[in-house]
Amino acid sequence: MTAILRLESRKRLRASIVLVVVFVLLSALYFSMFPSVEEEMEELADAFPDFFFELFGIEALHTIEGFIAAEIYSFFWVVLVAIYFAYVGAGMIAKDVRERKMDLTLSNPVSRESVVLQKVSALWVPLVVLNTAVPLVVYVGALVIGESFDPVSLAMVHLLSIPYLLVCAGIGLLVSVLVDRPRSARATAISLVFVLWLVDGVSRLDPDFEWIGAVTPSRYYDETAILVHEEYALADAGLLLVTFLVLVAVAALVFARRDI
Amino acid sequence: MPVIRIDDLTKRYGDVAANDHVTFDVEAGEIFGYLGPNGAGKTTTIRLLLGLIKPTSGTAEVLGADIRDRRALTEVKSDVGYLPDTLGFEERLTGRRVLDHFARMRGDERREELLELFRPPLDKPIETYSSGNRRMLGIVQAFMHDPQLVIMDEPTSGLDPLKQDRLHLFLEKERDAGKTIFLSSHVLSEVQRVCDRVGIIRDGELVALEEIETLLGRSGKRVWVHLAEPVDEERFRTDEMIDLEVTDATVQFTYTGEAKTLLEYLVGFDVVDVEIGEPQLDDIFKHYYGDDATVDEESAVTGKDAVSTGEDRVRTGGG
Repeated sequence: MTAILRLESRKRLRASIVLVVVFVLLSALYFSMFPSVEEEMEELADAFPDFFFELFGIEALHTIEGFIAAEIYSFFWVVLVAIYFAYVGAGMIAKDVRERKMDLTLSNPVSRESVVLQKVSALWVPLVVLNTAVPLVVYVGALVIGESFDPVSLAMVHLLSIPYLLVCAGIGLLVSVLVDRPRSARATAISLVFVLWLVDGVSRLDPDFEWIGAVTPSRYYDETAILVHEEYALADAGLLLVTFLVLVAVAALVFARRDI
Repeated sequence: MPVIRIDDLTKRYGDVAANDHVTFDVEAGEIFGYLGPNGAGKTTTIRLLLGLIKPTSGTAEVLGADIRDRRALTEVKSDVGYLPDTLGFEERLTGRRVLDHFARMRGDERREELLELFRPPLDKPIETYSSGNRRMLGIVQAFMHDPQLVIMDEPTSGLDPLKQDRLHLFLEKERDAGKTIFLSSHVLSEVQRVCDRVGIIRDGELVALEEIETLLGRSGKRVWVHLAEPVDEERFRTDEMIDLEVTDATVQFTYTGEAKTLLEYLVGFDVVDVEIGEPQLDDIFKHYYGDDATVDEESAVTGKDAVSTGEDRVRTGGG
Protein backbone atom coordinates (compact mmCIF):
# COMPACT_ATOMS: atom_id res chain seq x y z
CA MET A 1 0.00 0.00 0.00
CA THR A 2 1.95 2.96 -1.25
CA ALA A 3 -0.78 4.93 -3.05
CA ILE A 4 -0.74 7.70 -0.45
CA LEU A 5 3.06 7.90 -0.50
CA ARG A 6 2.91 8.26 -4.27
CA LEU A 7 0.31 11.02 -4.22
CA GLU A 8 2.01 12.91 -1.38
CA SER A 9 5.40 12.67 -3.08
CA ARG A 10 3.95 14.30 -6.19
CA LYS A 11 2.54 17.09 -4.04
CA ARG A 12 5.94 17.78 -2.46
CA LEU A 13 7.77 18.08 -5.77
CA ARG A 14 6.66 21.54 -6.84
CA ALA A 15 7.64 23.31 -3.61
CA SER A 16 10.97 21.47 -3.52
CA ILE A 17 11.85 22.79 -6.96
CA VAL A 18 10.81 26.31 -5.98
CA LEU A 19 13.12 26.09 -2.95
CA VAL A 20 16.01 24.95 -5.14
CA VAL A 21 15.46 27.95 -7.42
CA VAL A 22 15.55 30.23 -4.35
CA PHE A 23 18.87 28.67 -3.31
CA VAL A 24 20.32 29.04 -6.80
CA LEU A 25 19.50 32.75 -6.73
CA LEU A 26 20.86 33.20 -3.20
CA SER A 27 24.06 31.34 -4.05
CA ALA A 28 24.57 33.43 -7.17
CA LEU A 29 24.15 36.56 -5.06
CA TYR A 30 26.60 35.50 -2.34
CA PHE A 31 29.22 34.02 -4.65
CA SER A 32 29.29 37.16 -6.75
CA MET A 33 29.70 39.18 -3.55
CA PHE A 34 32.44 37.09 -1.96
CA PRO A 35 35.51 38.15 -4.00
CA SER A 36 34.83 41.85 -3.42
CA VAL A 37 33.95 41.55 0.28
CA GLU A 38 36.53 38.90 1.21
CA GLU A 39 39.01 41.50 2.47
CA GLU A 40 36.44 43.55 4.33
CA MET A 41 35.16 40.56 6.22
CA GLU A 42 37.77 40.83 8.97
CA GLU A 43 36.87 44.47 9.47
CA LEU A 44 33.23 43.51 9.48
CA ALA A 45 33.94 40.91 12.14
CA ASP A 46 35.56 43.60 14.28
CA ALA A 47 32.81 46.11 13.65
CA PHE A 48 30.00 43.94 14.98
CA PRO A 49 29.79 42.88 18.61
CA ASP A 50 30.70 39.24 19.27
CA PHE A 51 27.23 38.22 20.42
CA PHE A 52 25.91 38.93 16.93
CA PHE A 53 28.11 36.20 15.48
CA GLU A 54 27.55 33.86 18.38
CA LEU A 55 23.81 34.20 17.94
CA PHE A 56 24.08 32.86 14.40
CA GLY A 57 27.07 30.62 15.09
CA ILE A 58 29.18 32.52 12.58
CA GLU A 59 32.97 32.14 12.32
CA ALA A 60 35.77 32.69 9.84
CA LEU A 61 33.83 34.91 7.46
CA HIS A 62 36.89 35.62 5.38
CA THR A 63 37.08 31.99 4.17
CA ILE A 64 34.67 30.68 1.58
CA GLU A 65 33.52 27.95 4.00
CA GLY A 66 32.86 30.40 6.79
CA PHE A 67 31.17 32.86 4.47
CA ILE A 68 28.84 30.33 2.89
CA ALA A 69 28.18 28.66 6.26
CA ALA A 70 27.13 32.05 7.58
CA GLU A 71 25.24 33.40 4.59
CA ILE A 72 23.51 30.32 3.25
CA TYR A 73 23.44 27.63 5.90
CA SER A 74 23.16 29.54 9.22
CA PHE A 75 20.08 31.33 8.16
CA PHE A 76 18.49 30.03 5.00
CA TRP A 77 19.03 26.33 5.67
CA VAL A 78 18.76 26.16 9.45
CA VAL A 79 15.83 28.56 9.70
CA LEU A 80 13.97 28.81 6.41
CA VAL A 81 14.19 25.21 5.24
CA ALA A 82 13.42 24.09 8.80
CA ILE A 83 10.35 26.30 8.76
CA TYR A 84 9.31 24.80 5.41
CA PHE A 85 9.53 21.31 6.91
CA ALA A 86 7.56 22.38 9.98
CA TYR A 87 4.96 23.94 7.67
CA VAL A 88 4.62 20.78 5.59
CA GLY A 89 4.42 18.61 8.71
CA ALA A 90 1.75 20.83 10.24
CA GLY A 91 -0.41 20.60 7.12
CA MET A 92 -0.19 16.83 6.77
CA ILE A 93 -3.10 15.83 8.97
CA ALA A 94 -4.94 19.01 9.97
CA LYS A 95 -5.45 20.17 6.38
CA ASP A 96 -6.80 16.82 5.16
CA VAL A 97 -9.14 16.54 8.12
CA ARG A 98 -10.45 20.07 7.67
CA GLU A 99 -10.94 19.70 3.90
CA ARG A 100 -12.62 16.33 4.46
CA LYS A 101 -10.02 14.58 2.33
CA MET A 102 -9.33 12.34 5.29
CA ASP A 103 -12.91 10.97 5.15
CA LEU A 104 -12.29 9.65 1.66
CA THR A 105 -8.76 8.47 2.44
CA LEU A 106 -9.94 6.48 5.45
CA SER A 107 -12.80 4.90 3.50
CA ASN A 108 -10.04 2.80 1.93
CA PRO A 109 -8.65 -0.30 3.61
CA VAL A 110 -5.76 1.65 5.10
CA SER A 111 -4.98 2.20 8.78
CA ARG A 112 -4.46 5.66 10.23
CA GLU A 113 -0.92 4.72 11.23
CA SER A 114 -0.19 3.85 7.63
CA VAL A 115 -1.61 7.20 6.47
CA VAL A 116 0.74 9.05 8.83
CA LEU A 117 3.77 6.96 7.86
CA GLN A 118 3.15 7.31 4.14
CA LYS A 119 2.69 11.06 4.43
CA VAL A 120 5.90 11.41 6.46
CA SER A 121 7.77 9.17 4.03
CA ALA A 122 6.88 11.56 1.22
CA LEU A 123 9.39 13.98 2.78
CA TRP A 124 12.00 12.02 0.85
CA VAL A 125 11.20 14.30 -2.10
CA PRO A 126 12.27 17.65 -0.61
CA LEU A 127 15.12 15.92 1.26
CA VAL A 128 16.57 14.38 -1.89
CA VAL A 129 15.89 17.31 -4.21
CA LEU A 130 17.28 19.96 -1.85
CA ASN A 131 20.23 17.93 -0.62
CA THR A 132 21.31 17.06 -4.14
CA ALA A 133 20.75 20.33 -5.93
CA VAL A 134 21.90 22.82 -3.29
CA PRO A 135 25.36 21.31 -2.55
CA LEU A 136 25.91 20.96 -6.28
CA VAL A 137 25.10 24.63 -6.79
CA VAL A 138 27.37 25.65 -3.89
CA TYR A 139 30.24 23.47 -5.10
CA VAL A 140 30.06 24.67 -8.68
CA GLY A 141 29.54 28.25 -7.51
CA ALA A 142 32.77 28.15 -5.51
CA LEU A 143 34.69 26.80 -8.51
CA VAL A 144 33.29 29.53 -10.74
CA ILE A 145 34.68 32.29 -8.52
CA GLY A 146 38.04 30.49 -8.27
CA GLU A 147 37.61 29.15 -4.73
CA SER A 148 37.26 25.54 -3.76
CA PHE A 149 34.98 23.86 -1.27
CA ASP A 150 35.85 20.66 0.57
CA PRO A 151 33.36 18.21 -0.99
CA VAL A 152 33.32 15.96 2.10
CA SER A 153 32.37 18.68 4.55
CA LEU A 154 29.86 20.02 2.04
CA ALA A 155 28.25 16.59 1.77
CA MET A 156 28.27 16.25 5.56
CA VAL A 157 26.64 19.62 6.15
CA HIS A 158 23.73 18.32 4.09
CA LEU A 159 23.67 14.76 5.32
CA LEU A 160 23.70 15.78 8.98
CA SER A 161 20.99 18.36 8.36
CA ILE A 162 18.52 15.64 7.38
CA PRO A 163 17.79 14.49 10.98
CA TYR A 164 17.49 18.15 12.01
CA LEU A 165 14.96 18.91 9.26
CA LEU A 166 13.05 15.73 10.07
CA VAL A 167 12.71 16.78 13.70
CA CYS A 168 11.25 20.09 12.51
CA ALA A 169 8.78 18.19 10.31
CA GLY A 170 8.02 15.91 13.29
CA ILE A 171 7.21 18.93 15.46
CA GLY A 172 4.86 20.11 12.71
CA LEU A 173 3.26 16.67 12.42
CA LEU A 174 2.61 16.45 16.15
CA VAL A 175 0.99 19.89 16.11
CA SER A 176 -1.02 18.75 13.07
CA VAL A 177 -2.72 15.89 14.93
CA LEU A 178 -3.40 18.04 17.99
CA VAL A 179 -4.70 21.27 16.42
CA ASP A 180 -7.86 21.20 14.31
CA ARG A 181 -7.47 24.31 12.18
CA PRO A 182 -4.73 23.97 9.56
CA ARG A 183 -3.84 27.66 9.77
CA SER A 184 -3.37 27.52 13.53
CA ALA A 185 -1.44 24.27 13.20
CA ARG A 186 0.95 25.80 10.71
CA ALA A 187 1.34 29.04 12.63
CA THR A 188 2.00 27.10 15.85
CA ALA A 189 4.55 24.77 14.22
CA ILE A 190 6.42 27.58 12.48
CA SER A 191 6.53 29.67 15.67
CA LEU A 192 7.74 26.67 17.68
CA VAL A 193 10.59 25.88 15.31
CA PHE A 194 11.59 29.53 15.05
CA VAL A 195 11.44 30.13 18.82
CA LEU A 196 13.45 26.96 19.49
CA TRP A 197 16.13 28.17 17.10
CA LEU A 198 16.14 31.58 18.77
CA VAL A 199 16.36 30.04 22.25
CA ASP A 200 19.35 28.01 21.10
CA GLY A 201 21.12 31.10 19.73
CA VAL A 202 20.37 33.33 22.69
CA SER A 203 21.29 30.70 25.28
CA ARG A 204 24.75 30.39 23.69
CA LEU A 205 25.47 34.01 24.61
CA ASP A 206 25.72 33.28 28.33
CA PRO A 207 27.52 30.13 29.55
CA ASP A 208 25.23 30.07 32.61
CA PHE A 209 22.19 29.62 30.43
CA GLU A 210 23.67 27.55 27.66
CA TRP A 211 22.00 24.40 29.06
CA ILE A 212 18.57 25.77 28.16
CA GLY A 213 19.43 25.32 24.50
CA ALA A 214 19.88 21.60 25.06
CA VAL A 215 16.18 21.07 24.32
CA THR A 216 16.40 22.79 20.92
CA PRO A 217 17.00 20.75 17.75
CA SER A 218 19.42 23.29 16.24
CA ARG A 219 21.83 22.67 19.17
CA TYR A 220 22.50 19.25 17.63
CA TYR A 221 23.30 20.52 14.16
CA ASP A 222 26.26 22.90 13.83
CA GLU A 223 26.80 23.92 10.22
CA THR A 224 29.81 26.12 11.01
CA ALA A 225 31.60 23.35 12.93
CA ILE A 226 31.07 21.03 9.96
CA LEU A 227 32.17 23.45 7.25
CA VAL A 228 34.93 25.39 9.03
CA HIS A 229 36.32 22.79 11.47
CA GLU A 230 35.26 19.58 9.73
CA GLU A 231 33.69 18.31 12.95
CA TYR A 232 30.96 15.78 12.28
CA ALA A 233 28.75 15.22 15.33
CA LEU A 234 27.29 11.85 14.38
CA ALA A 235 25.94 11.13 17.86
CA ASP A 236 24.02 14.41 17.81
CA ALA A 237 22.53 13.49 14.44
CA GLY A 238 21.56 10.10 15.84
CA LEU A 239 19.85 11.78 18.77
CA LEU A 240 17.86 13.97 16.36
CA LEU A 241 16.86 10.92 14.35
CA VAL A 242 15.57 9.16 17.47
CA THR A 243 13.67 12.31 18.46
CA PHE A 244 12.08 12.39 15.02
CA LEU A 245 10.98 8.75 15.29
CA VAL A 246 9.49 9.41 18.73
CA LEU A 247 7.59 12.45 17.42
CA VAL A 248 6.15 10.43 14.51
CA ALA A 249 5.20 7.54 16.80
CA VAL A 250 3.43 9.86 19.26
CA ALA A 251 1.65 11.65 16.39
CA ALA A 252 0.48 8.35 14.88
CA LEU A 253 -0.72 7.16 18.28
CA VAL A 254 -2.68 10.33 18.93
CA PHE A 255 -4.13 10.43 15.42
CA ALA A 256 -5.25 6.78 15.52
CA ARG A 257 -7.28 7.45 18.65
CA ARG A 258 -8.95 10.75 17.94
CA ASP A 259 -12.17 11.74 16.20
CA ILE A 260 -11.78 13.42 12.85
CA MET B 1 -26.33 -11.87 9.47
CA PRO B 2 -27.25 -8.21 8.96
CA VAL B 3 -24.82 -6.14 6.89
CA ILE B 4 -24.98 -3.31 9.40
CA ARG B 5 -25.95 -3.88 13.04
CA ILE B 6 -26.31 -0.75 15.12
CA ASP B 7 -26.62 -1.47 18.81
CA ASP B 8 -27.46 1.28 21.29
CA LEU B 9 -25.07 3.61 19.49
CA THR B 10 -24.51 6.90 21.30
CA LYS B 11 -22.28 9.85 20.44
CA ARG B 12 -22.24 12.84 22.74
CA TYR B 13 -20.57 16.21 22.21
CA GLY B 14 -20.69 17.72 25.67
CA ASP B 15 -24.36 17.89 26.60
CA VAL B 16 -25.59 17.34 23.07
CA ALA B 17 -26.36 13.80 21.97
CA ALA B 18 -25.73 13.69 18.22
CA ASN B 19 -26.75 10.03 18.33
CA ASP B 20 -28.79 8.87 21.30
CA HIS B 21 -29.07 5.09 21.83
CA VAL B 22 -29.68 4.39 18.14
CA THR B 23 -30.49 0.73 17.42
CA PHE B 24 -31.37 -0.88 14.09
CA ASP B 25 -30.14 -3.36 11.49
CA VAL B 26 -29.66 -3.08 7.75
CA GLU B 27 -30.18 -6.41 6.00
CA ALA B 28 -28.31 -7.73 2.99
CA GLY B 29 -29.85 -6.82 -0.36
CA GLU B 30 -31.94 -3.85 0.72
CA ILE B 31 -31.85 -0.13 0.11
CA PHE B 32 -32.16 1.39 3.53
CA GLY B 33 -33.08 5.06 3.79
CA TYR B 34 -31.87 7.05 6.76
CA LEU B 35 -34.21 9.97 6.84
CA GLY B 36 -34.12 13.06 8.95
CA PRO B 37 -33.96 16.86 8.83
CA ASN B 38 -30.56 18.54 8.53
CA GLY B 39 -28.64 18.32 11.77
CA ALA B 40 -30.61 15.32 13.03
CA GLY B 41 -27.53 13.13 13.38
CA LYS B 42 -27.48 11.19 10.09
CA THR B 43 -23.90 12.07 9.22
CA THR B 44 -22.81 11.29 12.78
CA THR B 45 -24.14 7.73 12.47
CA ILE B 46 -22.42 7.31 9.09
CA ARG B 47 -19.09 8.62 10.37
CA LEU B 48 -19.38 6.31 13.38
CA LEU B 49 -19.95 3.36 11.05
CA LEU B 50 -16.80 4.22 9.12
CA GLY B 51 -14.71 4.57 12.27
CA LEU B 52 -14.01 8.26 11.62
CA ILE B 53 -15.36 9.08 15.07
CA LYS B 54 -15.63 6.90 18.16
CA PRO B 55 -18.91 6.13 19.94
CA THR B 56 -19.44 7.44 23.46
CA SER B 57 -21.26 4.22 24.25
CA GLY B 58 -22.87 1.35 22.37
CA THR B 59 -21.42 -0.03 19.18
CA ALA B 60 -22.13 -1.21 15.65
CA GLU B 61 -20.96 -3.89 13.28
CA VAL B 62 -20.22 -3.33 9.60
CA LEU B 63 -19.93 -6.56 7.57
CA GLY B 64 -19.26 -8.34 10.86
CA ALA B 65 -16.51 -5.96 12.00
CA ASP B 66 -17.02 -4.14 15.28
CA ILE B 67 -16.46 -0.41 14.71
CA ARG B 68 -14.40 -0.26 17.92
CA ASP B 69 -11.98 -2.82 16.47
CA ARG B 70 -9.92 -0.57 14.20
CA ARG B 71 -8.00 -3.38 12.55
CA ALA B 72 -11.11 -5.42 11.69
CA LEU B 73 -12.92 -2.34 10.41
CA THR B 74 -9.97 -1.36 8.20
CA GLU B 75 -9.99 -4.83 6.65
CA VAL B 76 -13.68 -4.85 5.70
CA LYS B 77 -13.36 -1.44 4.05
CA SER B 78 -12.17 -3.12 0.85
CA ASP B 79 -15.79 -4.28 0.58
CA VAL B 80 -17.40 -0.97 1.52
CA GLY B 81 -18.05 2.04 -0.71
CA TYR B 82 -18.54 5.49 0.79
CA LEU B 83 -19.96 8.66 -0.67
CA PRO B 84 -19.48 11.45 1.89
CA ASP B 85 -21.77 14.49 2.10
CA THR B 86 -18.79 16.78 1.44
CA LEU B 87 -16.40 15.44 -1.17
CA GLY B 88 -12.81 16.31 -0.28
CA PHE B 89 -10.86 15.42 -3.40
CA GLU B 90 -7.34 16.56 -4.27
CA GLU B 91 -8.40 19.75 -6.05
CA ARG B 92 -5.43 20.04 -8.38
CA LEU B 93 -5.65 16.52 -9.74
CA THR B 94 -7.85 15.55 -12.66
CA GLY B 95 -10.79 13.23 -12.07
CA ARG B 96 -8.91 10.44 -13.80
CA ARG B 97 -5.89 10.76 -11.51
CA VAL B 98 -8.13 10.76 -8.43
CA LEU B 99 -9.78 7.54 -9.59
CA ASP B 100 -6.32 6.06 -10.33
CA HIS B 101 -5.33 6.97 -6.77
CA PHE B 102 -8.32 5.22 -5.19
CA ALA B 103 -7.93 2.28 -7.58
CA ARG B 104 -4.45 1.63 -6.20
CA MET B 105 -5.94 1.24 -2.73
CA ARG B 106 -9.00 -0.89 -3.45
CA GLY B 107 -9.36 -1.77 -7.13
CA ASP B 108 -11.54 -0.43 -9.94
CA GLU B 109 -13.00 -3.40 -11.82
CA ARG B 110 -16.26 -1.54 -12.48
CA ARG B 111 -14.81 1.87 -13.33
CA GLU B 112 -15.54 1.90 -17.07
CA GLU B 113 -19.08 0.62 -16.66
CA LEU B 114 -19.82 3.34 -14.09
CA LEU B 115 -18.26 6.08 -16.21
CA GLU B 116 -20.76 5.27 -18.95
CA LEU B 117 -23.61 6.08 -16.56
CA PHE B 118 -22.03 8.94 -14.62
CA ARG B 119 -19.76 11.11 -16.74
CA PRO B 120 -17.64 13.62 -14.84
CA PRO B 121 -15.09 15.45 -17.06
CA LEU B 122 -12.18 13.14 -16.29
CA ASP B 123 -9.40 15.19 -17.85
CA LYS B 124 -10.16 18.43 -16.05
CA PRO B 125 -8.79 19.32 -12.62
CA ILE B 126 -11.34 18.83 -9.88
CA GLU B 127 -11.16 22.47 -8.79
CA THR B 128 -13.08 23.29 -12.01
CA TYR B 129 -15.89 20.78 -11.32
CA SER B 130 -19.50 21.76 -10.68
CA SER B 131 -21.14 20.24 -7.62
CA GLY B 132 -22.97 17.78 -9.88
CA ASN B 133 -19.72 16.60 -11.47
CA ARG B 134 -18.11 16.24 -8.06
CA ARG B 135 -21.02 14.11 -6.91
CA MET B 136 -20.78 11.92 -10.03
CA LEU B 137 -17.07 11.37 -9.47
CA GLY B 138 -17.93 10.52 -5.88
CA ILE B 139 -20.50 7.95 -7.02
CA VAL B 140 -17.99 6.34 -9.40
CA GLN B 141 -15.32 6.03 -6.68
CA ALA B 142 -17.87 4.63 -4.21
CA PHE B 143 -18.92 1.77 -6.53
CA MET B 144 -15.90 1.11 -8.73
CA HIS B 145 -14.35 -1.59 -6.53
CA ASP B 146 -17.66 -3.51 -6.57
CA PRO B 147 -18.26 -3.39 -2.80
CA GLN B 148 -20.90 -5.43 -0.95
CA LEU B 149 -22.10 -2.39 0.98
CA VAL B 150 -22.27 1.24 -0.12
CA ILE B 151 -22.88 3.99 2.42
CA MET B 152 -24.09 7.22 0.84
CA ASP B 153 -24.57 10.52 2.66
CA GLU B 154 -27.11 12.67 0.79
CA PRO B 155 -26.23 11.05 -2.55
CA THR B 156 -28.36 13.23 -4.82
CA SER B 157 -27.46 16.65 -3.44
CA GLY B 158 -26.12 18.73 -6.34
CA LEU B 159 -27.39 16.33 -9.02
CA ASP B 160 -29.93 17.53 -11.58
CA PRO B 161 -33.25 15.59 -11.71
CA LEU B 162 -32.16 13.53 -14.72
CA LYS B 163 -29.02 12.34 -12.98
CA GLN B 164 -31.00 11.72 -9.81
CA ASP B 165 -33.28 9.37 -11.73
CA ARG B 166 -30.28 7.66 -13.25
CA LEU B 167 -28.77 7.14 -9.80
CA HIS B 168 -32.03 5.80 -8.39
CA LEU B 169 -32.37 3.29 -11.24
CA PHE B 170 -28.75 2.27 -10.76
CA LEU B 171 -29.27 1.75 -7.03
CA GLU B 172 -32.28 -0.48 -7.68
CA LYS B 173 -30.24 -2.60 -10.08
CA GLU B 174 -27.45 -2.90 -7.52
CA ARG B 175 -29.96 -3.94 -4.89
CA ASP B 176 -31.39 -6.58 -7.23
CA ALA B 177 -27.84 -7.85 -7.77
CA GLY B 178 -27.58 -8.44 -4.03
CA LYS B 179 -25.77 -5.28 -2.94
CA THR B 180 -26.73 -3.41 0.19
CA ILE B 181 -27.22 0.36 0.06
CA PHE B 182 -27.42 2.57 3.12
CA LEU B 183 -28.31 6.11 2.15
CA SER B 184 -29.16 9.18 4.15
CA SER B 185 -31.47 11.90 2.95
CA HIS B 186 -33.51 14.79 4.19
CA VAL B 187 -35.80 14.54 1.17
CA LEU B 188 -38.86 12.40 1.81
CA SER B 189 -39.70 11.89 -1.87
CA GLU B 190 -36.22 10.52 -2.58
CA VAL B 191 -36.50 7.94 0.16
CA GLN B 192 -40.03 7.06 -0.96
CA ARG B 193 -38.85 6.63 -4.51
CA VAL B 194 -35.96 4.28 -3.95
CA CYS B 195 -35.82 2.76 -0.46
CA ASP B 196 -37.22 -0.54 0.81
CA ARG B 197 -37.07 0.37 4.44
CA VAL B 198 -36.56 3.59 6.30
CA GLY B 199 -35.26 4.70 9.66
CA ILE B 200 -36.22 8.19 10.73
CA ILE B 201 -33.90 10.13 12.99
CA ARG B 202 -34.59 13.38 14.75
CA ASP B 203 -32.48 15.17 17.36
CA GLY B 204 -30.18 12.17 17.48
CA GLU B 205 -32.94 9.70 18.26
CA LEU B 206 -34.34 7.05 15.98
CA VAL B 207 -38.06 7.85 16.04
CA ALA B 208 -39.31 5.33 13.51
CA LEU B 209 -38.20 2.25 11.66
CA GLU B 210 -40.54 0.91 9.02
CA GLU B 211 -41.28 -0.49 5.61
CA ILE B 212 -41.59 2.19 2.99
CA GLU B 213 -45.25 1.29 2.30
CA THR B 214 -46.12 2.08 5.87
CA LEU B 215 -44.45 5.46 5.62
CA LEU B 216 -46.25 6.19 2.33
CA GLY B 217 -49.54 5.50 4.05
CA ARG B 218 -48.65 7.88 6.81
CA SER B 219 -47.25 10.75 4.88
CA GLY B 220 -50.31 12.16 3.07
CA LYS B 221 -50.34 15.26 0.89
CA ARG B 222 -50.05 18.88 1.79
CA VAL B 223 -53.13 20.65 0.35
CA TRP B 224 -53.85 24.33 -0.07
CA VAL B 225 -57.27 25.43 -1.31
CA HIS B 226 -58.44 28.94 -2.15
CA LEU B 227 -62.21 29.28 -2.18
CA ALA B 228 -64.43 31.99 -3.61
CA GLU B 229 -66.03 32.66 -0.21
CA PRO B 230 -65.06 32.20 3.42
CA VAL B 231 -65.92 28.75 4.70
CA ASP B 232 -66.80 27.34 8.09
CA GLU B 233 -64.09 25.07 9.49
CA GLU B 234 -66.52 22.47 10.85
CA ARG B 235 -68.43 22.25 7.60
CA PHE B 236 -65.21 21.75 5.56
CA ARG B 237 -63.42 19.22 7.78
CA THR B 238 -63.37 15.50 6.97
CA ASP B 239 -61.76 12.64 8.88
CA GLU B 240 -58.86 12.45 6.42
CA MET B 241 -57.75 16.02 7.11
CA ILE B 242 -55.24 16.85 9.78
CA ASP B 243 -53.61 20.08 10.82
CA LEU B 244 -56.50 21.99 9.24
CA GLU B 245 -56.09 25.75 9.15
CA VAL B 246 -58.80 28.04 7.87
CA THR B 247 -58.09 31.71 7.23
CA ASP B 248 -61.03 33.45 5.59
CA ALA B 249 -61.40 31.78 2.21
CA THR B 250 -58.07 29.94 2.34
CA VAL B 251 -57.78 26.42 3.72
CA GLN B 252 -54.60 24.45 4.40
CA PHE B 253 -54.39 20.87 5.60
CA THR B 254 -52.62 17.54 5.27
CA TYR B 255 -54.71 14.93 3.52
CA THR B 256 -54.22 11.29 4.40
CA GLY B 257 -56.87 9.76 2.18
CA GLU B 258 -56.87 9.05 -1.55
CA ALA B 259 -56.43 11.79 -4.14
CA LYS B 260 -59.59 10.80 -6.02
CA THR B 261 -61.76 11.14 -2.90
CA LEU B 262 -60.29 14.53 -2.15
CA LEU B 263 -60.90 15.86 -5.65
CA GLU B 264 -64.51 14.59 -5.62
CA TYR B 265 -65.01 16.25 -2.26
CA LEU B 266 -63.58 19.59 -3.38
CA VAL B 267 -65.95 19.75 -6.34
CA GLY B 268 -68.71 20.43 -3.81
CA PHE B 269 -67.11 23.80 -3.01
CA ASP B 270 -66.56 26.92 -5.07
CA VAL B 271 -62.81 26.39 -5.58
CA VAL B 272 -60.77 29.24 -7.11
CA ASP B 273 -57.36 27.56 -6.91
CA VAL B 274 -55.83 24.43 -5.45
CA GLU B 275 -52.31 23.21 -4.83
CA ILE B 276 -51.34 19.70 -3.77
CA GLY B 277 -47.74 19.04 -2.78
CA GLU B 278 -45.34 16.81 -0.86
CA PRO B 279 -45.67 17.04 2.89
CA GLN B 280 -42.77 18.50 4.81
CA LEU B 281 -40.73 16.02 6.74
CA ASP B 282 -41.31 18.07 9.87
CA ASP B 283 -45.08 17.75 9.43
CA ILE B 284 -44.78 13.99 9.29
CA PHE B 285 -42.80 13.96 12.48
CA LYS B 286 -45.28 16.23 14.17
CA HIS B 287 -48.35 14.33 13.16
CA TYR B 288 -47.31 10.73 13.09
CA TYR B 289 -44.46 10.35 15.44
CA GLY B 290 -45.06 12.96 18.08
CA ASP B 291 -42.49 14.99 19.89
CA ASP B 292 -41.24 12.33 22.26
CA ALA B 293 -41.83 9.35 20.04
CA THR B 294 -39.62 6.27 20.23
CA VAL B 295 -39.30 3.28 18.00
CA ASP B 296 -41.99 0.67 18.30
CA GLU B 297 -42.12 -1.62 15.35
CA GLU B 298 -45.35 -3.32 16.35
CA SER B 299 -47.37 -0.16 16.37
CA ALA B 300 -45.64 0.88 13.18
CA VAL B 301 -47.32 -2.05 11.44
CA THR B 302 -50.75 -1.29 12.86
CA GLY B 303 -50.24 2.44 12.55
CA LYS B 304 -52.00 2.59 9.22
CA ASP B 305 -55.38 1.89 10.74
CA ALA B 306 -54.93 4.62 13.22
CA VAL B 307 -54.26 7.16 10.48
CA SER B 308 -57.67 6.68 8.95
CA THR B 309 -59.32 7.64 12.22
CA GLY B 310 -57.78 11.06 11.70
CA GLU B 311 -56.11 11.18 15.07
CA ASP B 312 -53.41 13.75 15.25
CA ARG B 313 -51.00 11.63 17.18
CA VAL B 314 -51.08 8.02 16.31
CA ARG B 315 -48.12 6.97 18.33
CA THR B 316 -46.61 8.81 21.17
CA GLY B 317 -43.96 7.48 23.42
CA GLY B 318 -44.44 3.88 22.32
CA GLY B 319 -41.58 2.63 24.49
